Amino acid sequence: MTLSPVAKAKETYTLLKDKILNWGRAWSLWSVHLCTGCCSPELMAVSCSRFDAERFGTLPFPSLRQCDLLFVLGVVSEKMAKRVKLIYDQMPDPKYVIALGDCAISGGLWWDSYCVVQGIDKVVPVDVYVPGCPPRPEAFIQGIMMLQKKIQGKEV
Amino acid sequence: MPVMRVKFGPQHPISGHLCLALDVDGDVVVNIEPDIGYTHRGLEKIAENRNYVQAVPPLERANIVDSVHMVLGYVEAVEELMGVEVPERAKFIRVIMAEMSRIASHLYWLCLMAVAVGLETMLMWPINDRELLLDLFEMYTGARITHSFFIPGGVRRDLPQGFKEQTFRALSYLEQRLGDYDRMLYQSYTFKIRTQGVGKLKPQEAIKLGLVGPSIRGSGVKVDVRKDEPYAAYDQLEFTVPTGKVGDSYDRSVVRLREMEQSISLIRQALERLPSGPIKAPAPSSAPKGETYSRVESARGELGYYLVGDGTTRPYRLKISSPSFRNLPAMGYLSKNVPFADIPVILWSLDLWPLDMDR
Ligand code: SF4
Repeated sequence: MTLSPVAKAKETYTLLKDKILNWGRAWSLWSVHLCTGCCSPELMAVSCSRFDAERFGTLPFPSLRQCDLLFVLGVVSEKMAKRVKLIYDQMPDPKYVIALGDCAISGGLWWDSYCVVQGIDKVVPVDVYVPGCPPRPEAFIQGIMMLQKKIQGKEV
Repeated sequence: MPVMRVKFGPQHPISGHLCLALDVDGDVVVNIEPDIGYTHRGLEKIAENRNYVQAVPPLERANIVDSVHMVLGYVEAVEELMGVEVPERAKFIRVIMAEMSRIASHLYWLCLMAVAVGLETMLMWPINDRELLLDLFEMYTGARITHSFFIPGGVRRDLPQGFKEQTFRALSYLEQRLGDYDRMLYQSYTFKIRTQGVGKLKPQEAIKLGLVGPSIRGSGVKVDVRKDEPYAAYDQLEFTVPTGKVGDSYDRSVVRLREMEQSISLIRQALERLPSGPIKAPAPSSAPKGETYSRVESARGELGYYLVGDGTTRPYRLKISSPSFRNLPAMGYLSKNVPFADIPVILWSLDLWPLDMDR
């Protein structure tokens, strides 16, 4: 079967489109600057020059309209949970969520608190969980790499 | 133009977890209302449901950039209640840890202050130098910022081998860096023009508002718990309490820089004079009936713990008087009829850390 050049180009395009798009998405994950709990100093360490998450294309960005990644940094209180939901809804698709810290995963240290949401996955869908209290910067970066693999369709 | 209400935070690079409701008239802020509680975790109640040693990890998370002081205040209160005498060596180790934590906290503050005036390079420098101290903490306790290393009666383990030499090396490097900060940030035109004369507080006003820590010392009032009511080994060490003159944001910033220099000298003294002996005294698991109030000078100011014991292994009541909460009224007082761009500067010159405000 011989294809005309136009059809060939079309086929190649459909094959490559997702790959290129996902490649672009994976390496330009801009994260919302939302601090919910006490894991936030580690975000600071990660985004500065020693650990430098920008190597992986992740950069906290002030405006959430241009962001596609939401870091849930630790403990989420009932009051903050409404904000997290609001911010998640305002972000453009495709969007990803990384839950950082034991608190964001399951309530962690505050398992018997009266005002802490026991696990952020009750509020927003989570892609990657990074345990630790607080997670080390290396774990942080591993979480970002896992998300990149997930976006590129590879096995995590 | 009508007055408009704008929410500043909690999704904002400068405000962190704090939310401020601003009434703005054009570019001028006419009124400000703090909307706190976004990171409330019910710490006091949680501590009352743990026994005395178990309460240490949750309490430490109240102020994670200055976690050592958070624990130190609690541990001092418990020891006072139980009537435990801490060994000398543990006291000196506590001073070393506390001062290291103060420097780390001030460095963290410095980068946020620099971002508040719009200098991005100064975001990178102090955070990187803070890593030096975090490495020291890691060497000693195994954790970067959450150590849980003080327990009623002393400290958990002795200093590791080579800690002293590495600390001295880190301190001399830091000392030189503080000079760099002075030249790079404090003498820069941008920083001066953005902070001098902004958020001015007279000594009387500062006292009336009940400020604590570097914020009140910036106005020239010399209060420091380390001097006034010495705890740990501060009565055996020499240091001065730096104060400002004008009481504006610039002075408050300078006070913090000078404090870091004092902390470096304090760590050196404590390491040189470190006595030998035990590091832990046996402490009972339950406290007798009674109440106590202990205070320490944390990086943000005076931190008080009110503790009531009822003869069981758990505190009957624990109340934290946190420095950021006590500095919060000044935020409302200072932000009347100021330009919007000055709000971050005033906020960070007071060093309000929302996590220990909400507890
Ligand atoms: S995981 Fe630990 S450090 Fe992170 S928010 Fe929870 S208590 Fe704080």
